[in-house]
Amino acid sequence: MTEMDATAQIHAQLTKCGIKLAASLPDDWIAPLIKRIAADNRIRHVRVAREAEAVAICSGAFFGGVRSVALMGATGLLTCTGELATLNLRHQIPVFLIVSQRGSIDDHRIYQEVQGRRTIPLLESYDFPYHVIDRSEDIGGIPDAFETCRMQKRPFVLFLTRRLVKGEGASR
Amino acid sequence: MKARDAIEALARQRGDAVAVCALGMAANEWWAATRSEDSFYMHGAMGFAASFALGLALSLPRAPVWLINADGSLCMNLGCLLTEASQAARNLKHFVVANGVYQTVGALPMVNEGRTDYAAIARGAGISRARSIETLAELEELLPGIAAEDGPSFTVLRVEPESGFLRTPPMTYEGPEMKYRFGRALERKLGIEVFGPQGY
Repeated sequence: MTEMDATAQIHAQLTKCGIKLAASLPDDWIAPLIKRIAADNRIRHVRVAREAEAVAICSGAFFGGVRSVALMGATGLLTCTGELATLNLRHQIPVFLIVSQRGSIDDHRIYQEVQGRRTIPLLESYDFPYHVIDRSEDIGGIPDAFETCRMQKRPFVLFLTRRLVKGEGASR
Repeated sequence: MKARDAIEALARQRGDAVAVCALGMAANEWWAATRSEDSFYMHGAMGFAASFALGLALSLPRAPVWLINADGSLCMNLGCLLTEASQAARNLKHFVVANGVYQTVGALPMVNEGRTDYAAIARGAGISRARSIETLAELEELLPGIAAEDGPSFTVLRVEPESGFLRTPPMTYEGPEMKYRFGRALERKLGIEVFGPQGY
């Protein structure tokens, strides 16, 4: 599984979901997917200055009847948990987030280790559903994840692992 | 200029615009002036009514979208101006009711205590149609032109701070009910589908 293979497949599945708007702020793992989506003129791509903007933009798009996705790194997800709680949880507005699962055992970046330890417990405390995609054969489940997000009417985080987006082997 | 008078002037010129209101004074005054369900009244995510309005405007390019923001909220998310400028949504009008205080918590002063030129910040971000309005007479004179011009535009309404705690009560519904009232209002008004056949 190469980097391009995975991003191309994720992009194809997002198209299958009917995604017409993507709001993003990159980290290095998710940057190839963002570049690919930005080059797709069927999807309105919104570059933001802070991840919570992406959350609120997607929330507004929901009321315009437009399917959307917010793309960010795990650190960015931590910065917008307040907005996810007080906008999306409070009003039951679904927002679909694709997030790099930083701080995993194969992510040897010291500044990501807290994200690795605390992100999922934080999501669980908010009762935000999440799903981890670790293998290319799981990418086809993205439309199911998107529909689950709509049905559960809350933030849904789809994590992409390092193995999926960067290939085998730990980062050094 | 009083906030109530400024908001009522906006409401009179609103036309078919869908509105998004920042939480607190802006939302409460807009509700008092319009009682409108095709408006979204933020209850949380302070600062992000602007981003919500942008997402709505990009999704409904033929519908005018008015953002009724406030200076406290704007300062929580000044980066929204960069995003608004870059997206250049022609249907988005950004109004900021600026009183220099956090009014609904007792009119405590804001950072920089009213000395900030928000219109200059917006121009610096790339929104060329940016201005600051000091009086109700000036607002009444300029508003028809503002309503008619292409967005994105950015208009600061300088209003007096008022000391009454929660002087104007908030809208009478909240949470999921606000979601469904707003979404259904847009479905009726614009002929779009917000909720699917099973209601979610």
